Amino acid sequence: MIRTNGLSKAFQSVEVLKNIDLQVAANEIVILLGPSGSGKSTLLRCLNGLEEPSAGSVELNGIRIEPAMTKKQKLSNFREIRRQTGMVFQQFNLYPHKTALGNVIESLLVVKKMAKAEAVKTGEQLLERVGLADKRDAYPSRLSGGQQQRVAIARALAMKPAVMLFDEPTSALDPELVGEVLDVMRQLAKEGMTMVVVTHEMKFARQAANRIVFMDGGVIVEEGSPERFFTEPQTERARKFLNQLGEH
Amino acid sequence: MDLVWDNGLFLLKGAYYTLLVTVVSMFFGLLIGMAVALARLKGNLPLRWLARAYVSVIRGTPAFVQILIVYYGLVDYGITLGPLTAACVALSINVGAYLSETFRGAILAVPKGQTEAAYATGMTSWQALRRIVFPQAARVAIAPMGNTFIGMLKETSLVSVITVTELLRSAQLLVAQYYVYMPFYLGVAVMYWVMSTVFSAILGMIENRLSKAY
Repeated sequence: MIRTNGLSKAFQSVEVLKNIDLQVAANEIVILLGPSGSGKSTLLRCLNGLEEPSAGSVELNGIRIEPAMTKKQKLSNFREIRRQTGMVFQQFNLYPHKTALGNVIESLLVVKKMAKAEAVKTGEQLLERVGLADKRDAYPSRLSGGQQQRVAIARALAMKPAVMLFDEPTSALDPELVGEVLDVMRQLAKEGMTMVVVTHEMKFARQAANRIVFMDGGVIVEEGSPERFFTEPQTERARKFLNQLGEH
Repeated sequence: MDLVWDNGLFLLKGAYYTLLVTVVSMFFGLLIGMAVALARLKGNLPLRWLARAYVSVIRGTPAFVQILIVYYGLVDYGITLGPLTAACVALSINVGAYLSETFRGAILAVPKGQTEAAYATGMTSWQALRRIVFPQAARVAIAPMGNTFIGMLKETSLVSVITVTELLRSAQLLVAQYYVYMPFYLGVAVMYWVMSTVFSAILGMIENRLSKAY
């Protein structure tokens, strides 16, 4: 479903991603782990074109992006890819001038040109699904961080994406609010959603992942089943990373 | 003071032209400001450069000089504008430069994550601007825009030199006729003040409504 080939990304002269080959199959849940600055978020952002690859290609459901393409081609392919991917951000990025429902249905109206009544119906179902039907008319400023992130998930789901990308979805939340967001993500996983998740929630990673991809210094250092990764990591760097976590 | 009352209609007509020039210039200034702000933020290199040059020149020269250039100067190039048209053209171009800076700042004040969220749900950059960025930028822009608008109202007095009979020139004509100064100048001062106050109140209401939304 997702395939990157020799994907590299440099900001000015700093190489953040080096020659990444990543594949994600349908219904798979891949969790990206690694120390901060290891390139996880950048990789995730390259998958839907929020960052443009400097070299190598990204492919989703047969839609390819590579540096050789013209700007126009890239733009239209990125847009196509984005329509098929949902993205959840660390800082939620809800539209402050729209209600919870307004946030969810915005792209249904603007991108899918859905009729208002139908969009509202879909939006209400999605809010129901993340347990926020009663917050329909609340503005983001009136919602807790956990509620905001659940609205953001509903907003991403509204476009019926083939893949959901999560960029540290719980890192900006108070500890007591992390659970409600992870619950929604577990539910999605159970329903068979393909997911790529950057997170620091190790317990969640261990339970929910089909595969762990461990990154450091812009390369994939190790990948494998969560069982193997957490119990017998194959590389020194992964061992060190897990040890550091254990110390807290 | 009776003289002012007796010539009230004449002064009101002047006030009408002041308002007309203000509103028309503000309207076209808004369009210019929007276009220039977008050119500076999203345009290609020559366009960005052009937009910057425009803002720099207009903000770096007196409005008075700009008015004279448009009305008297352009005649040399075969462009003859009526006083009212020249006034509106000069002031639209002038206010457009200031507004473009206001808009640019307001658009930049909207967090980048907003645009990214819009892109991530498949919006084009125009859709993201129109539906997500502009409504939030409007809230930031409205207060400085109001200041520009009121500044504009008073700046229109400059066009009296190109024989537009707006409020100030109406007073000057009356002064020339009756040889008394104070009542007429005080009278128009009061009228300017009333108009700015009314505009301030209206802008305040708009600001309140915009900020109530979230």
